[in-house]
Amino acid sequence: MLARSRILLGFAGALLLAGCASDGLEIRSLPPATPAADNAAAAANAAALAAAMADETTNAAAKATANAAAPDVGKATVDTPPLFTPADAPSMRTYDPFERLNRFTYRFNARFDDAIFLPLANGYRRLPLSVQTATHNFFANLDEVKSVINYVLQFRLHYAVRTLGRFVVNSTIGIGGLIDVAKDIKMPRAQTGFSDTLATYGVHPGPYLVIPLLGPSTLRDGIGFAGDYGINWAVNLGDLYRGSYWKAAAIDVPWAVDARANVDFRYYATGSPFEYQQIRFLYVRKRLIEDSGLRRYSRPTPPPAGTEAGQ
Amino acid sequence: MRFPRTLILLAPLLLAAVAGADVQPQGEHAAALPPMAGPATGLADSAGLRATVFGTPPQQMAPLPDRVPLSEIDIKLPWANPVPDVFWFNKKLRVWFSAQDKPAPLAIVIAGTGGDGNTSKNATLRGVLYGAGYHVLTMPSPTFPGFIVAASSTGVAGDLQQDSHDLYAAMQAIVSRLPRRVKITEIDVLGYSLGGANAAVVKAIDAKEQKLHIHRAVMINPPVSLFTSITRLDRLFAISIGTSNEDIDRLYRQLYAELANLYRASDKVEIDEEFLLGAAAVVLKTDAEFSAAIALTFRLDLVNMFFAGDLYARTGVVVDPNHPPKVGDPLEQTELRLRQMPFSAYFSRVFAPYYLQHRPNSTSASLIADNRLDIIADALRNDGDYYAQTNSDDLILDKAELLWLEKTLGSRIVVYDHGGHLGNLGDRSQIADMLDMLAGRWSGPRS
Repeated sequence: MLARSRILLGFAGALLLAGCASDGLEIRSLPPATPAADNAAAAANAAALAAAMADETTNAAAKATANAAAPDVGKATVDTPPLFTPADAPSMRTYDPFERLNRFTYRFNARFDDAIFLPLANGYRRLPLSVQTATHNFFANLDEVKSVINYVLQFRLHYAVRTLGRFVVNSTIGIGGLIDVAKDIKMPRAQTGFSDTLATYGVHPGPYLVIPLLGPSTLRDGIGFAGDYGINWAVNLGDLYRGSYWKAAAIDVPWAVDARANVDFRYYATGSPFEYQQIRFLYVRKRLIEDSGLRRYSRPTPPPAGTEAGQ
Repeated sequence: MRFPRTLILLAPLLLAAVAGADVQPQGEHAAALPPMAGPATGLADSAGLRATVFGTPPQQMAPLPDRVPLSEIDIKLPWANPVPDVFWFNKKLRVWFSAQDKPAPLAIVIAGTGGDGNTSKNATLRGVLYGAGYHVLTMPSPTFPGFIVAASSTGVAGDLQQDSHDLYAAMQAIVSRLPRRVKITEIDVLGYSLGGANAAVVKAIDAKEQKLHIHRAVMINPPVSLFTSITRLDRLFAISIGTSNEDIDRLYRQLYAELANLYRASDKVEIDEEFLLGAAAVVLKTDAEFSAAIALTFRLDLVNMFFAGDLYARTGVVVDPNHPPKVGDPLEQTELRLRQMPFSAYFSRVFAPYYLQHRPNSTSASLIADNRLDIIADALRNDGDYYAQTNSDDLILDKAELLWLEKTLGSRIVVYDHGGHLGNLGDRSQIADMLDMLAGRWSGPRS
């Protein structure tokens, strides 16, 4: 009886789905918009930014006064990184020797996103906000492990200590990472990964690479992702990272859905045939600027003539 | 794409990208620019430009509802042209709909140049309209590539009448197929920028065809003459950026260096939204920088529109009509060439050739004249259900055009002192006035 009603229900559901998709019309219900909360968040951001800028202006003024009082030029410039000039900017072209394959993968990702990833993420976004936040915090907390190890490998020990502190505080007081207590005691999250570690040792981003399911990346970022997975596997925190496929799926699927739900991006929402190259351009410039931040105190070197960005 | 708000500000600057040395500078177009009169001569006024770039500050937003139900509607329209290979993802027109659970008026919102149905401005309008008790349908601009492919009967966007006809047909197709539980008491249309002009023309078409019985139309910062407005935008681009590829390259390098320096001076470990928000406030400070941001935003929209038009009209400017690009073909060179093309090139090399061929007895001059709000001047003057809101420092209007709007609409237009182009969309008084207009409560601007 039960089985039969299930089949009937399934059949009705299939009809319903087919009905929605018939005659070239499809209506998909989305998680409700929350304009009041969005605007309140934007207002809070703007206020924080204004405060930070006022603060910076005061600091700069204080620094200028201090420098004027002790006109020791060498000393005064110690804490300002050497400046980039327009000549140090990489070419507007991007190194993309795998372009055809990448474009194919990009299309595949777009279709996969539309059919599977986004519906899951939208379902997840209908859960109570507290559940989403706890889930997000939980996975973010697991990720701190690879950040700590990579910070050590990069010799950025203050970040390593802070991140380790966050992990300890959140895993204990924050009930296994469900609550981000550390953020409230002025230990904000700062992630890093194996790709950043490679960059610290002078490895270039390399060719642009669109990874199936993961999206825009570079060869170095791809290796970095695998490296981070390797670190997690080696540490095997709470025995979560080894064992059956089912266990892996039980961790990886919610992780992926949470990650997708927190990215405000929709494939081909631009409607533009140039979207692939525009995303490529933005992604590689973003990574190159971040790389330059890893070598803050070294003098920027203009890229050799004729090279493409990332090469 | 739904970039975070701040990335929308910076992306156009960064996207002034993909330069190369093998492209001819398009100097002749800059030389052909006519001199301009009015408040936007040169670089318009500083406050107006700033408002145009940064929009309404969140603190000054009109009250917004906590929760707005939302669905996405994809619809295949029978009159659309066959979908070209490179546009495989635009087979259906996508619009967004928010339904009240009781009988209510339906407000149809049309986005401005190049905008999809879910722009942040459309989302703001959706919020306040839903809060005021309307069902809300937000639609893309007819110049958005998704519309050009899935809903345009020509593929050549930018003609006020043709585009509005296509919009009107799409509206009928969508409204007739909304779920039966949605009870609509009346239909009003509104739009911002080019979408405002579209909304008014749609209402005028409906007055003849009587298919939707549209009641009121509100135009927010509409253009009066499309040709004058695009000429102003070309001029803004030429003044603030230049006309050659080297100029775009220079802007990109300068911006890259500024962003890198800001990042290196910060203690950030990645570029996130917070960083970009701060960077936008630091990098965009002068009139020239505001102008460059505005001009580039429009230029990037033009790139898509130009490409689609050239493809459909078979005018062969950047797309070989006999060998159109296929899925997966690199398009870097194409975009590179398009990036330097001003609106005037779109008009003279794609739009005019297409419409001169398809409209008997038309001339370039008649095409320009047909793309003015004058074509519905009688309706604007005599029908009390057309309204407009604009700003005295809107950079797409000159003084004569503003005067024309005021004379034609009389007490049914409100002109705010500041806000530039759409820089006050969403603020309390703009929204309060807009809702009064839509509901027929408007009794002229407060003095």
